[in-house]
Amino acid sequence: MNCRSEVLEVSLESRQVDEAMLALLHTILLHRSTGKFHYKKEGTYSIGTVGSQDTDCDYIDFSFVRVSSEELDRAMRKSVGEFKDALCNSGSDGVGQISLEFYQKKKSRWPFSDECIPWEVWSIKVNVVSLANEQERQICREKVGEKLGEKVINIVEVINRHEYLPKMPTQSEVDNVFDTSLKDVQPYLYKITYQITDSLGTSVSTTMRRLIKDTLAL
Amino acid sequence: MAHFDTEYQRLEVSYNDSPPGGDDMLVHVPEGVKSQWHHIENLDLFFQRVYNLHQKNGFTCMLLGEIFELVQLIFVVAFTVFLTNCVDYDILFANKFVNHTHNEHETVKVTLPDAFLPANVCSARIRDNAFVIFIMIIAGVFWLHRLIKFIYNICCYWEIRSFYINALRIPMADLPYYTWQEVQTRIIEIQKEHQMCIHKKELSELDIYHRILRFKNYMVAMVNKSLLPIRYHHPLLGNVVFYTRGLKYNFELIFFWGPGSLFENEWSLKPEYKRGGNRLELAGKLSTRILWIGVANLLLCPIILIWQILYAFFSYTEVIKREPGSLGARCWSLYGRCYLRHFNELDHELMSRLSKGYKASSKYMNCFMSPLLTVVAKNVAFFAGSILAVLISLTIYDEDVLAVEHVLTTITLLGVCVTICRSFIPDKHMVFCPEQLLKVILAHIHYMPDHWQGNAHRYETRDEFSQLFQYKAVFILEELLSPVITPFILIFCLRHKALEIIDFFRNFTVEVVGAGDTCSFAQMDVRQHGHPAWMSAGKTEASIYQQAEDGKTELSLMHFAITNPRWQPPRESTHFISQLKGKVQREATSGQQGALLENHLFTSIQSIQSESEPHSLIANLLVGPPSIGSFQFGREGHTAPHISSASDVASALCSLSPLSTSQHLRGSYTSTHPPRSDGRGLTAARGIAGSGTDARTASSGSSAWEGQLSSMVLSEYASTEMSIHALYMHELHKQHSQTEPARHTWHRQESDDSSESVPEESEVLIGLPRSSTFPSASARQHPYQDQASLHSSGHRRHGGTTDAVSGGPRAAHRFSRLPMGGWAEEVRAGRHHETVPEEGTEEELPPQIHKEPQIMMKLGVDIPKNILVCLSCG
Repeated sequence: MNCRSEVLEVSLESRQVDEAMLALLHTILLHRSTGKFHYKKEGTYSIGTVGSQDTDCDYIDFSFVRVSSEELDRAMRKSVGEFKDALCNSGSDGVGQISLEFYQKKKSRWPFSDECIPWEVWSIKVNVVSLANEQERQICREKVGEKLGEKVINIVEVINRHEYLPKMPTQSEVDNVFDTSLKDVQPYLYKITYQITDSLGTSVSTTMRRLIKDTLAL
Repeated sequence: MAHFDTEYQRLEVSYNDSPPGGDDMLVHVPEGVKSQWHHIENLDLFFQRVYNLHQKNGFTCMLLGEIFELVQLIFVVAFTVFLTNCVDYDILFANKFVNHTHNEHETVKVTLPDAFLPANVCSARIRDNAFVIFIMIIAGVFWLHRLIKFIYNICCYWEIRSFYINALRIPMADLPYYTWQEVQTRIIEIQKEHQMCIHKKELSELDIYHRILRFKNYMVAMVNKSLLPIRYHHPLLGNVVFYTRGLKYNFELIFFWGPGSLFENEWSLKPEYKRGGNRLELAGKLSTRILWIGVANLLLCPIILIWQILYAFFSYTEVIKREPGSLGARCWSLYGRCYLRHFNELDHELMSRLSKGYKASSKYMNCFMSPLLTVVAKNVAFFAGSILAVLISLTIYDEDVLAVEHVLTTITLLGVCVTICRSFIPDKHMVFCPEQLLKVILAHIHYMPDHWQGNAHRYETRDEFSQLFQYKAVFILEELLSPVITPFILIFCLRHKALEIIDFFRNFTVEVVGAGDTCSFAQMDVRQHGHPAWMSAGKTEASIYQQAEDGKTELSLMHFAITNPRWQPPRESTHFISQLKGKVQREATSGQQGALLENHLFTSIQSIQSESEPHSLIANLLVGPPSIGSFQFGREGHTAPHISSASDVASALCSLSPLSTSQHLRGSYTSTHPPRSDGRGLTAARGIAGSGTDARTASSGSSAWEGQLSSMVLSEYASTEMSIHALYMHELHKQHSQTEPARHTWHRQESDDSSESVPEESEVLIGLPRSSTFPSASARQHPYQDQASLHSSGHRRHGGTTDAVSGGPRAAHRFSRLPMGGWAEEVRAGRHHETVPEEGTEEELPPQIHKEPQIMMKLGVDIPKNILVCLSCG
């Protein structure tokens, strides 16, 4: 695929899942968001400001910086909550993967719908462990904190590389690149999906869709 | 959750409207998405479509072709149904009289419409026939599928068309004048501004090839490693190769794109296949899948069979009627195309190479006439011919003979019979020399098994070669049988290979940044897949399992480096290429003392006649080795001939090298400058020519290096260079395998033998090419002139758009750099052509422009003839 993909792996306790996920996803989004664009007449624009906020975790020795946007935070919490529920209810050994995919839309001609073309995918593989006693939990709390710190540095390193980013759009095209639905911040268009290991095999509908597409593209 | 605010807060003021005092704030200008070609999702498909559109010569041709295909389909089905159901054959065969006449006694002419059944009867007959309805429904579904595909394709290719026009700046009308290499150069250039691929800032040629040929490379590698079940040992027929389009389609379906295939999408292998852990389980899965596909094939077999028969009938009957000999003609088999293909070789490159080898190959195959068959054929032809003669003379005397029942049929059948018999009778005046023909073939097809060398006259070799180069009739027959045989091959042969296939894909898939999962053979890495017997000894670390057979890695590397001079190979490969070239140089100088005389003569011929160098080169080269080779095949077993023949090839290569180096230089120039900065290229070429040995040829060639023509000429030179390299590498390989133990003596002999053996041969060499090529060159002037004028007019039209702006001053600037010398004349001619393009007619073009393509065209055609001429003289 014509997109970059980065994989992060963490193993942690089930109650730490949502905080850890939030920490990682927010860190990525902090670097992939800009202020709101305000377009002027001559095809120029100015960028609004973005606030940032420190958030402390309850179950992990860790605090992270996120964009101070309640809407974005709510959206994140919602998807992470779903992921956690699915992970807990799966009944398996608790291995799952949540991925944050940045994409841009491309208008196409009439018979086809708009294409969403991803340009960067972050996948976080989660391995849930269960711990016996309080002492182990304490150790885990610190360890996961350290691990998350490493991951954050890792993320920042990746983001600092000079690699492809969609070009800054003109006013008419801003919706193809940025998510403009939020009031106070403007992240690149993103999509959060998750998979629980049991259902890693592709579903029937995607297979059918591929089959049709393949026969067409013969 | 503890949560406290830091000082970095959002400015509350600017929540809803634009920031206050907008003038003071930073203002940005959006770059905008200028092109729609940045960040293309599926680059594989995209590049494939770009290539296809180029090969199909533009959008209109492609559109028309596809529409006709759709119409053809309807026609085939409708016509068949009509013939079976709506024609009263009794009337046609006059078994029944037409009864619409009023007068019973009058003889009435039967017209075609009389034989047609009336519409209502006809439709009733169709309705009653369940089988016909069934067939029609299937055909309808198939046609609808094709139609949807067609519409989808048109939409996709429309975008590619606008990509050509807007991004590559190649108008559709001019597309046929561009070579693929030029299109590719432009793609690489625009990657810098459009960022089609987001992994890399710049694309390389290899990236594009990898994407277009991803699956083909896998197929070539699998055939090379004999993984696919396409060769069988049959108790009666011996070794048989069965590889048809249907089988190929099924292989691709199973491996690459079908439901549940090994590949997740066009560019990546499924992750579970990359891990070795559960290979047995995966092999089991693959084997059941093959079983299912085999069963599906078996069920669909009748339908496919009917389709094949109908299609073959309608497409070939007309051809057979027109020229019955065409069935006896040969074509490169599908297996041959796979076996002879280099890694990373596009279709058009392969086809042009094989077509060049066609004449020699069919000549080679015709060498083998069974004497027994000849005797029989002669007699059958005699009897059939005499009856035919009588019938024909009777007909001439009185044409009523034709009206006698079956006379026309007999005449036709006898005619066919005589034609067939005649094809078994060899031409009396032909002289055959299989060993040399095979060498000529090798120069074009680049691959052959080791045991062919020295056994060219044997029937075994011929039979094996016929697997690559089969009768058209056999090809059609195999295609017809394919639907029946394919399911059994899938079920009984391919299934057992499931584990090997899984292992193959795991071991030979590498993930390349910016290209996805590709076949590791296609990386052409000598270190990983080199074969020690093919000059990569010492460099290769490959186990036997990893080595590509037949020197595929090495030859592919050479081929790719030569066809894409701008490509920067990785370090080991560069080392390999430079070492090979160094070897060429060394052997050339060691053979130089002998060859000196010959070279002098050649240059003097050139300076008088400006006859093309490569042609005489090839002639020289190809006449050279065999003439000594005949010693060698006397099985004397001493090594001197090897050396001289190898060094002969080397010296040939060496004298070609000024051209190739200047070509390389030009390549490096144009990669930094826009492609039409020919002034630079010219000076570069001149620089080389000045320092090089063969200044004259290079500089005379350079006047033709403009626009399209230059690229065409260059690609022709490249193919010549590759031919010679292939010969040279095979020669070295032969030495390696034959004289491996006697290496020390070989080195010792080199110094004294080469100086003695070469002058002997050079006497033969000097005379022959001249006598043989000159007459043919003058005789064939006209057709090639047309060809050349086509090129040059194409060039001119193209040049008119851009050179009209800057042509004048640049041309002056460019020519001011040329030294005043022997070729001032052609400079004037060149300027004339450049500055006044409207007035220049074909006759006024400088002669060099005519010459280059003309000679190159002849290369492929004339070589065998030359050799024959030479031999019959000698």
